Amino acid sequence: MIKPFLTKWPFLFKLRLFFVLVGLVIILSFLYLKLVPSGHIIYERDYSQTLRSGKGFILGFTPAERVDLSGLLPKIIGDPIYFSLFTPRTFDRAQVIITYRDHLSSSTPIIEMGVLKDKIVRNYDLQPIENKTLAVLVGKWTTVGTSSLILFQLGKNYADLPSFQKDLAAGQLKDCPGGPTTCLATYNYAPIYNFQMTGIKTRPLTLSEPLRGQHQFYVYVPAHDLRLDFDFVDMNQDKAQDPIAVNLYSANKLIDSRTLGDNNPDPTSGVAEQKKLSLSASNLKPGVYKAEIKISDDMVIKKIQSSVDRLSFINKVWPVSASGNLILYTDATYLLAKAFTPASLQTINFGGQDFSLNEPYQQFEFVAPVVSRSLQTIKLTKDDVILENNGLFSWSQSSFFDPTLKKVDNHFILGQTKYILADYQTPTIRDGWKTATAAFSLIASDRENGKYSFLLSIPGLKAASGDRDYLEIKSIKIELTGRTLGQKLKSLYGQN
Amino acid sequence: MARIKIISRELFYFLSLLLGIFIILEIIWPNIILAYGNLNYLLVLVLVFGLISLIKK
Repeated sequence: MIKPFLTKWPFLFKLRLFFVLVGLVIILSFLYLKLVPSGHIIYERDYSQTLRSGKGFILGFTPAERVDLSGLLPKIIGDPIYFSLFTPRTFDRAQVIITYRDHLSSSTPIIEMGVLKDKIVRNYDLQPIENKTLAVLVGKWTTVGTSSLILFQLGKNYADLPSFQKDLAAGQLKDCPGGPTTCLATYNYAPIYNFQMTGIKTRPLTLSEPLRGQHQFYVYVPAHDLRLDFDFVDMNQDKAQDPIAVNLYSANKLIDSRTLGDNNPDPTSGVAEQKKLSLSASNLKPGVYKAEIKISDDMVIKKIQSSVDRLSFINKVWPVSASGNLILYTDATYLLAKAFTPASLQTINFGGQDFSLNEPYQQFEFVAPVVSRSLQTIKLTKDDVILENNGLFSWSQSSFFDPTLKKVDNHFILGQTKYILADYQTPTIRDGWKTATAAFSLIASDRENGKYSFLLSIPGLKAASGDRDYLEIKSIKIELTGRTLGQKLKSLYGQN
Repeated sequence: MARIKIISRELFYFLSLLLGIFIILEIIWPNIILAYGNLNYLLVLVLVFGLISLIKK
């Protein structure tokens, strides 16, 4: 019945029908890949294969000077490097599986990957790939815990993780007379721990040293009220808008937030604008709170007035527009310093020793001559220097306090540490290649032009240092999951 | 021979139309096609079949 019907069609008609059907299949396939109706898709870039390399989705690496592309596989020679993932739609979660071979020395024990959360403050959600410091402890220290959350202990003080967590919540660990901050370190995990200071008297504090760009600090609130007043200067030197957000956190939970938009129609005028923002909270439990000032580098925090005087800046300070010599204090034994302008080149005194900051825009690492538990002093003769480390900064010794547990990073020294609590899985090894998995939530991640931005960090790896350390990447596989087409339609029509 | 002539001409029409649709899709949803491959290769095919059609005439 059908055969005689088809045979009657002219050749040209059959040919065109065939092409139309093929064209429809091709176009519908691309639409299917655009919509991803199942909500699940995998993109993989295998650098050892030219075909099926997935280079249209996993893009990078940048900057070029930190990657050696002369061989078959890319070699990461500097820290950090960036890559991006193009996705045809949004997803909720990503699981990144990276296969690599490392030629790294003991000075670079950590490999981490992160996804960009906040474009303004360049905040990445970092997840571990490998931590060799912890790998060294396996077999030497006693370990208890689950497959991912592991407690490393120098002695056999705890038989299980819950009993340790119970003691930690109470602030008293076995064989740890100085309290948890002295003998506990963590990695990729923030345990429930309520830092308390007893018998302190607090007074209002005014910090008049201007700071540029985003900053974070801890404040200790002994009573119930906290008030923070900020004076800002918007320099209006770049074309981007400069909104202000001040967030207050307790134990990493956002408890209060204030924002101020930027309605200036001429953001490149160069005419400075004065702005003010206040944040006050009452009925707070005594304890540590973290304030986060989210502003662009076009903004300066001119003054901070706090109702409490225990205030320590976290990891970074960028003093600008100072009237004279500056003295700061930090609890870390090293300092990363970068002069933002040639005019900022100088000799920095850190921990009693002079260090030369003789190249602009380049980060220098200075190590204090004496490693001690007391604070290290930083003396600057000029401003506009970005100072960073893994510790805290303050403008006076009296206002400094350290509520943090030590982190197992590339500057970690075991010292008095007796316990390490880590959310970490060691990579698997096959034929000399290591494979590690990192999971990310993409819900609040930054996605620009259809791309999620990722970072691969090997702290301490410097492309210009002349050493031959590198990380060789074989493949990156990213499994994405999100809403199905059915769930999307349901939410659109309000049936979810 | 006549069939080859028709096929090359029809392939030219088909690939030209497909290229046009791909370009429109790219304008609407950037990277929907380019993430998978380079449209220049398709353009080369269009030119090849177009030239064959002209020569055959």
